[in-house]
Amino acid sequence: MYKADVRGPLILGNKDYRQITSDIIAPIDNKAPGWWKVAMGVAFLLASIGFFALYYTVRYGLGTWNVNNSVAWGWEIINFVWWIGIGHAGTAFSIFLLILRQKWRTSINRAAEAMTVFAVMCAAIFPAIHMGRVWLAFYIFPYPNTRGSLWVNFNSPLFWDFIAISAYLLISASFWYFGMVPDFASIRDRAKTKLKKTIYGFLAFGWTGSTKEWLRYEGLSYVLGGIAAVLVVSVHSIVSTDFASSVIPGWHTTLFPPYFVVGAIFSGFAMVMTLMIVIRKYYHLEDYVTDSHLNAIAKILVFISLIMGTAYTTEVFMAWYSGNPYEMFTFFHNRLTGDYSFMFWAMVVCNAVIPQVMWSKKVRSNTTALFIISLIINLGMWYERFNIVVTSLSKDYLPSSWTTYSPTWVEIGIYIGTIGIFTIGVLFFFRFVPMIAISEVKSVLKPTEITEKH
Amino acid sequence: MDLLAGIEATQSKNFTIDEIYTPYPVMEAIDALKRKSRFTIAAFIYGAAAVIGVLSFLYWTSVIDWPINYGGKPTNAFPSFIIITLVLTILTVTLGSLFTFSLRAKIYPGKKYFLPDERATDEKFVMLFDKKTAGAGYEAIAAAMKASGASEVYEKEF
Repeated sequence: MYKADVRGPLILGNKDYRQITSDIIAPIDNKAPGWWKVAMGVAFLLASIGFFALYYTVRYGLGTWNVNNSVAWGWEIINFVWWIGIGHAGTAFSIFLLILRQKWRTSINRAAEAMTVFAVMCAAIFPAIHMGRVWLAFYIFPYPNTRGSLWVNFNSPLFWDFIAISAYLLISASFWYFGMVPDFASIRDRAKTKLKKTIYGFLAFGWTGSTKEWLRYEGLSYVLGGIAAVLVVSVHSIVSTDFASSVIPGWHTTLFPPYFVVGAIFSGFAMVMTLMIVIRKYYHLEDYVTDSHLNAIAKILVFISLIMGTAYTTEVFMAWYSGNPYEMFTFFHNRLTGDYSFMFWAMVVCNAVIPQVMWSKKVRSNTTALFIISLIINLGMWYERFNIVVTSLSKDYLPSSWTTYSPTWVEIGIYIGTIGIFTIGVLFFFRFVPMIAISEVKSVLKPTEITEKH
Repeated sequence: MDLLAGIEATQSKNFTIDEIYTPYPVMEAIDALKRKSRFTIAAFIYGAAAVIGVLSFLYWTSVIDWPINYGGKPTNAFPSFIIITLVLTILTVTLGSLFTFSLRAKIYPGKKYFLPDERATDEKFVMLFDKKTAGAGYEAIAAAMKASGASEVYEKEF
């Protein structure tokens, strides 16, 4: 639908194919810059805090957290949903835009997919550790066991979640890896040292770029793209079903699946924006990640922000319109006002109000403003999950079991740790893997008849 | 693009191309070699097999092997089997497709590969002719390729 002449050139600077490869693999060929080492040091520090907090949890038990009988889900589930949400953008970018034949995806999809893989890995830590005895986590596998072949509950959304997230991780990782195979071959064939040739040669799986390989490669991309698009929608719908299938006021609503899926894509796109701005700035890839790319992401964010605003309003409206006293209480006395009202209003301001400034073209072309807004959106999405998880649980049907919740240092430590792990993953990605899909970018370099036809 | 001119030249003169190596997928090159793939059919078969397999497994565990009475609900709780079937089907199709790709395109770790010109994965579109099957001698092919704008034409023993 949108050809390059409508959107502006996808690649600036009159490049040829060789130049594209050189520009994109420059960070792999050159030494790591100083900021990269500092960032890696900080990330390792954060990850160490996380590993210590995890060790402390395993050593002393869940009593080291502040979760209790009422608020049984605390920061762990908030962070789980937050990371999974961020992890959705990779697939949303790569796959939805692949199926819709949006060529501007080519400069961004690789980083988005990388982010997905690291974010889902971070997300998986939380439900595993939340089980309590993490060393028995394998009990959730449906295997014939010594307990008389007692099967897991196949009707439970929690089990669906486990299967869906494992599948999602595996599929995103394969989609990401196979996308990189032709690029690894490019690095292999340009490598000057034997070590590099051997390592990237191994990673390239013997790729040569023959028609036989490309034909099947295209087949694989579209098959994986088509089915993973369904998975994106189903994974986060299932996460929302963990909540919606309960009887807790504020959770028990049919709005949840679409609301969660859209929210996930919102936070993921915001994180993609954050990363792309970093990549552009520090690796000087402005010719590939152009203002036009950021503009397109910003427009999508404005649109999704409106949907988020509508969802928040719908929830409040339905609580009032249903006439259900428990729903009314949760929304009007425990969210809009009450102990956690800050979280509610912070969520509304960060997700539904502030992104609206991106209607202005001036803001959309200001990289600093976009960077700040993308961080605000991610913060807002975290508030949203806190708002959903904690407010509903803290004050349910029985006033005798009402309580408040704030995390302990251990819970905060685990969250900080996942930020460290994610950052380490992303930094390794910056250093050792082509950040932009070289072969795909080449295919949109000269939008002649050939590239337009397929 | 010169590659297309080259392909047209070989077709008009009835030369047989052995293989074309490109830095990115070029459909015209794939068509010129009459390459066809049944990838989608394979994926459909994996999907169909997975749906039948997963539903049968769930029926067996929930109804035959260890039926559990959840407040009188039917043990064959079909609607709640749908999501898990969907996800496992997607997983099966993915794994099946990856293995099929690896097998058919012969892309796997540690593969000994044949690449006539290393620039093919970077910047050059390489057309390879085998003297035995090309249907013409080196001079005739070289002349036709040069005329259609080839940047280099050379002979090499492999």
